[in-house]
Amino acid sequence: MRLPSLGATALAAILGMSSAPAFAQPTEITLWSWNVAASSLKSTLEGFNKQFPDIKVNVVDLGNQQVFDKTLAACAAGGDGLPDIVQFENFEAEIFWSRFPDCFTNLKDLGYTSEIQAKFPDFKRTELEVGDVAYAMPWDSGPVAVFYRRDFYEKAGVHPASVKTWDDFIAAGKKIAAANPGVVMAQADFNGDSEWFRMLSNEQGCGFFSTDAQSITINQPACVATLDKIKQMKDAGILTAAIWDEKVQSNTAGTVASQLYGGWYEGTIRTNSPKLAGKWGVYLMPSMTPDGPHAANLGGSALAISSGSQHKEAAWTYINYALGTDEGQIAMLKSYGLVPSLLSAEKQPFVSEPQPYWGGQAVWTDILGTLPKIVASRGTAFQTDADGIYKATQTKYFAGGYPDAKAALDDAANQIAAATGLPIAQ
Amino acid sequence: MKSQSRSTLIRSLSLHAVLIPLALVWLFPLWMMFVFATMPDYGIFSPQIELLPSTHFIENVSNLQADTDFIRALIISIGVAITYTVLSVLLTSMAGWALARYSFVGKSLVIAIILGTITLPYFVVVIPQFIMVAREFKMANTWIALIVPPLFNSLGVLFMRQAFSMMPVELFDAARVEGVKEWQIFLRIALPLARPTMAALAIILFLASWNNYLWPLLINSRPGMMTAPVALGTLIGLTKVSWGGIMAGAVLLTAPILVIFILLQRHFIAGIAAGAVK
Amino acid sequence: MQLRNRAAYGFLAPYLLIFAAFWIWPIISSFMMSFQNTRINPWVFSPGANWGRLFTDPAFYNALKNTMIILVIQVPVMITLATVMAVLLNSPLLKARGLFRFAFFAPVVVGEVAYAAVFRLMFNLDFGIINKLLNSVGIASISWFSDASAAMALLIIAVTWRWAGYNTIIILAGLQSIPGDVYEAATLDRVSKLRQFIYITLPLLKPIILFCVVLSIIGSMQLFTEPMLITNRGGPGGGTETLGLFLYRQGFTSLNFGYASAIAYTMAALAILISLLNLWVGRDAK
Repeated sequence: MRLPSLGATALAAILGMSSAPAFAQPTEITLWSWNVAASSLKSTLEGFNKQFPDIKVNVVDLGNQQVFDKTLAACAAGGDGLPDIVQFENFEAEIFWSRFPDCFTNLKDLGYTSEIQAKFPDFKRTELEVGDVAYAMPWDSGPVAVFYRRDFYEKAGVHPASVKTWDDFIAAGKKIAAANPGVVMAQADFNGDSEWFRMLSNEQGCGFFSTDAQSITINQPACVATLDKIKQMKDAGILTAAIWDEKVQSNTAGTVASQLYGGWYEGTIRTNSPKLAGKWGVYLMPSMTPDGPHAANLGGSALAISSGSQHKEAAWTYINYALGTDEGQIAMLKSYGLVPSLLSAEKQPFVSEPQPYWGGQAVWTDILGTLPKIVASRGTAFQTDADGIYKATQTKYFAGGYPDAKAALDDAANQIAAATGLPIAQ
Repeated sequence: MKSQSRSTLIRSLSLHAVLIPLALVWLFPLWMMFVFATMPDYGIFSPQIELLPSTHFIENVSNLQADTDFIRALIISIGVAITYTVLSVLLTSMAGWALARYSFVGKSLVIAIILGTITLPYFVVVIPQFIMVAREFKMANTWIALIVPPLFNSLGVLFMRQAFSMMPVELFDAARVEGVKEWQIFLRIALPLARPTMAALAIILFLASWNNYLWPLLINSRPGMMTAPVALGTLIGLTKVSWGGIMAGAVLLTAPILVIFILLQRHFIAGIAAGAVK
Repeated sequence: MQLRNRAAYGFLAPYLLIFAAFWIWPIISSFMMSFQNTRINPWVFSPGANWGRLFTDPAFYNALKNTMIILVIQVPVMITLATVMAVLLNSPLLKARGLFRFAFFAPVVVGEVAYAAVFRLMFNLDFGIINKLLNSVGIASISWFSDASAAMALLIIAVTWRWAGYNTIIILAGLQSIPGDVYEAATLDRVSKLRQFIYITLPLLKPIILFCVVLSIIGSMQLFTEPMLITNRGGPGGGTETLGLFLYRQGFTSLNFGYASAIAYTMAALAILISLLNLWVGRDAK
């Protein structure tokens, strides 16, 4: 049945695409990743191949949603067609472990000892381990910050340090829009994502599910306040809708003054808008009250090894280098701004250096400083159900389909309960 | 007589006054695809209105090639579409021949099944089909899985059956009297006569396979085996992606089939129109 | 005679083999899955888990509503347009016939992915040519991807662009099969062209137009690639999620095969219902 792959190889050879030299037999492993994460992995390869010249790592950028879809499809097919290593977003990872417990390898069998596990914070590991099985190794985390255009803020006379609350953010947004025609304060992906809700609710200690994953908490007061605040920002005209690529285009075109995202967005801005060096800065996310929490997490990934991999040892060697050493993690932080979750990497000198792109601001000190304050938020195995229901509810709420945010989220909670069978927390 | 020709002129003018703008609107997306494919990204995302092509097509193609191995995907698509078309025309011709020219037990059942599957949404089948091919048969990421399941094609059989039943029966009976075997009658007499019908069917099937998206997306998880539409689809929504490159890919995907369309318009239209002729 | 007819099985065998191997089992299996709770390992028989949920799930009704909006708006608009195009293309007064045919028929061959990409660029919020053209005549930019009604309009525009020509081809073939002498008497009686069209052409075309309607309805029911690629997986927030996409999301994103199968059979039932309705309408004419 594997005749076809023979055909593909022959085809590749004809086209001169075969890259394996005739004299050596390096182990070749394939890895699925996306966007800047994929690019940052590529930046570790030079250092990795100095130590391990015999392992060739082939990083494939498939896009976030494609990696998810294709991995699910491949696991549903019994694991056939998976690459050696797959990237997971932490909050979606549990879907895989719960539905396909045999699709990925227990890293503990390959050398993921408890000493290595202890090098990562607990909140990054909860979603990656089930009992004694460790399915994936933590990679980066996404401490949230506001990325802002210094020049736009200055022109409006807004000092970022004075933006303490979301109400300040709204007021500042109106000033900035008035002073910079054609510029909007911030953008949210109301079309295909729920990122603003997830960031703000996490800051306020709320989420779709409770941290023990046993109940639905989306209609708790802190979540209701979050949705209410997002609607206020939208109605004030300071938060407009833009999908991921539109945000990137707006950054480059200079039509947006701020973006709220996890720390990993640093690399997206810096590498996509290189001409704007010196114009961007970073400040802590506002809160509901001036003395409220100013820390949240969005995104953050992990790497796992498929059960069907023919080169598990080589795959583990690479993961342990890229994620488990300061050298690998700092290479990714430098190249694309992926925030290490490896605790020791935070003490590396690079973290406290001023960054030229960011106008000499030591952005990593500021961003990583919020890490200890982040409240864990659990994705659970029902993440995609809850997220889909939330997005539909948000759209309907914005369109006036509910009297208030409480009614909207009560409805969302009921729908999630129907889809998952979990109880709604009282 | 004079007033007649004047009213004809007015009718002709008003006809073109309606059709020309409509045709321009209809051509606009195709034209823009071509224009985008020749523009650098800063041109696509510029605040000006750009309606004329630029000079960056080759550059965009090489950007595309860097984002995904598109040339390889195109070659795979060509191979898959040709194989699929040949096999499918053969299979549907054989089935159409059987249904047109023989009476046998179960014939009405077979016809009922074929008619039934036309109204059946493909989505009823796709999930279990995927599970079965991938998990039970262990055939994910094989050419067989890519090509064989879509070979079951109801409209094609009905189309061929129609063509065969319109041929004069004397032709075949004469051959039978001379002792020619059934499969030889099919191959030597019936198939050559059905050539125009087969050409029309082949073009439609080639088009369907060339543009097929869902099944190859599901069944092929290996990036090296992606067909061109799937390879292009993976780029939409990526961050660091060249839109000029995507558009160049769209042009590379569309241009060959447009050329086929122009050259073989008659067969093409016959193939589509056949859906209606019962 | 019997012996000769046995050859038929030989001719049919490969085709039916593929049907048996890749279609029969999936159709049955899909039906059985729809009665199982596939959210847990191992699956258990629990008809309420899917069928019970389906009829109380707002997301299902949302997808059904979106599909129905497309059916009710897009299909009639497209068929009317296709009929107009076919009649105009059939006019003996037409110059440069090949060019016009190319304009209307070419979208039929454009792959879904290619045209999805073009439409995404054309309707981009800040840089899309459509909003720029709107701005140049004084209309404010429309947020095509973030506003649910605008996204639905975009979807309808895109699908109409792509499929109108397909129906035009079929209707044009129908027009050309109407013998010319049907009109001769009418022309002699000085019946206007418009009245000829309404009283002669349309009734003769009725079966063909109904056929196009059925094809379009079945196509719209299964609409998947366009909302997947153009409006970002049925965005905003499910505003353009069709039944096909809803099924895909349940099956391949949330991995709830049982629920997806229940949705699939509901779609099948709807398609059969609508086809029967059409047969009934068609029969009524005679």
